Amino acid sequence: MTEGVKSYYGREQRQMKDSALKMRDIKKKFRGFTLDIPQLEIPKGFSTALIGENGAGKTTLLNLLAGIRLDYKGEITFFEKWKDAERERETNPVREMIGYTGGGNYYLPNWTVGQAEEVTKLLFEKFDSDKFELLLEQLQIVERGIGGKAKKISELSDGNKMKLMLAGIFARETQLLILDEPASPLDPLMRDVLCDMLRGYIESGGGEKTILFSTHNIADMENVTDYAVIMEHGRVVERGFVEDLKEKYTLVKGESEDAEIAEPALVSISKNHYGFEGLCLTENLNQLAGLDMQTERPTLSQICVAVMRQNSRIRLS
Amino acid sequence: MKLLQNSGIPIYQQIAEAFRADIMSGKLKTGDYLPSIRGLAKELKISVITTMKAYELLEEEGLVTAMQGKGFYVNAQDSEMIREQHMRRVEDSLQDAIKSARIAGIGGEELMQMLKLLLDMEES
Repeated sequence: MTEGVKSYYGREQRQMKDSALKMRDIKKKFRGFTLDIPQLEIPKGFSTALIGENGAGKTTLLNLLAGIRLDYKGEITFFEKWKDAERERETNPVREMIGYTGGGNYYLPNWTVGQAEEVTKLLFEKFDSDKFELLLEQLQIVERGIGGKAKKISELSDGNKMKLMLAGIFARETQLLILDEPASPLDPLMRDVLCDMLRGYIESGGGEKTILFSTHNIADMENVTDYAVIMEHGRVVERGFVEDLKEKYTLVKGESEDAEIAEPALVSISKNHYGFEGLCLTENLNQLAGLDMQTERPTLSQICVAVMRQNSRIRLS
Repeated sequence: MKLLQNSGIPIYQQIAEAFRADIMSGKLKTGDYLPSIRGLAKELKISVITTMKAYELLEEEGLVTAMQGKGFYVNAQDSEMIREQHMRRVEDSLQDAIKSARIAGIGGEELMQMLKLLLDMEES
């Protein structure tokens, strides 16, 4: 056992102080799929990643939270104050406080960039046109000037459409960003810029601003993920602050002749001719005592893959 | 601050070590505030929780104190504690030397001689 593992063995998990979102008994049924979340909280002042396979229910959940779907059972509390049932009331500030981006045609394809700006301005009180123009230029979405804004949404690449949506929410004054796969259509450089923008947003809030995003590319987003929620088949299968998860699990590598003995103690295992690699609950490491193996602190990607593999129905053989 | 992603040393420990060194050397003085958690995360391009963990580690070691709403400030360092910190570093380095010696098949006796030789060279 390494030093690192020993010193954190059995340490308590960090408590969540305030939540930006609190979900209770959320249920949404589709044919052959049920989103079922008895209890989930998203910590305020942090950036949370929602991770899971295609069809795990990430988009459905984000749509409920963003108010795009209202046909579900259960209760959502925003900023420990406002209930989702009151969301549509005039006096409810929640809609103004949330910035959302997602797939599909959020902006209608036959609109121009300028019209998208006008609509956003109409819909939200705290929209800063100067900031929007600056972002259009900084993110190289369209050419400068009136000509650029006359460009139709349908003429933009997927990457530029996402950048336009991001400009639309970063030009507003918000308290919570809900981003459905923001990194997917972006190139590696723009993903890096996105991560900087997200960290800047969290920093500008001084503990008051929160981000919830879903992603397939957890490795790209690991340095902007504070809290992780892993979903499978409509359920949350793991959650926690990333630094706690990295202590809860330990990566073990050993010789192939020991793989059979080690397997029952591991969350998941991959074997080859030269040895095995698996993820072990740190508290179960003693079950592997005596085996010739190395331990390592896992990355968030490694934890996600192992937990997803444990719950997945995908099988290669 | 130089952070290595693939050194095997967790990032939060690297951050804590950098501030520990600054506190021990006097670069950060009693009462000085550490950078804000979210500000440092942004500067270093790492997550907030990693920075937070580094600061919590320093707090556990008694080097800094958290002030609600104001951040972390550097405690008065008594000489005993600083000596303890230095001792810990020396022990860590010696542990490394022992590990390397074991891999190379160098025995305890030979290792001691080596250390003595190096000390003599330093003194002369």
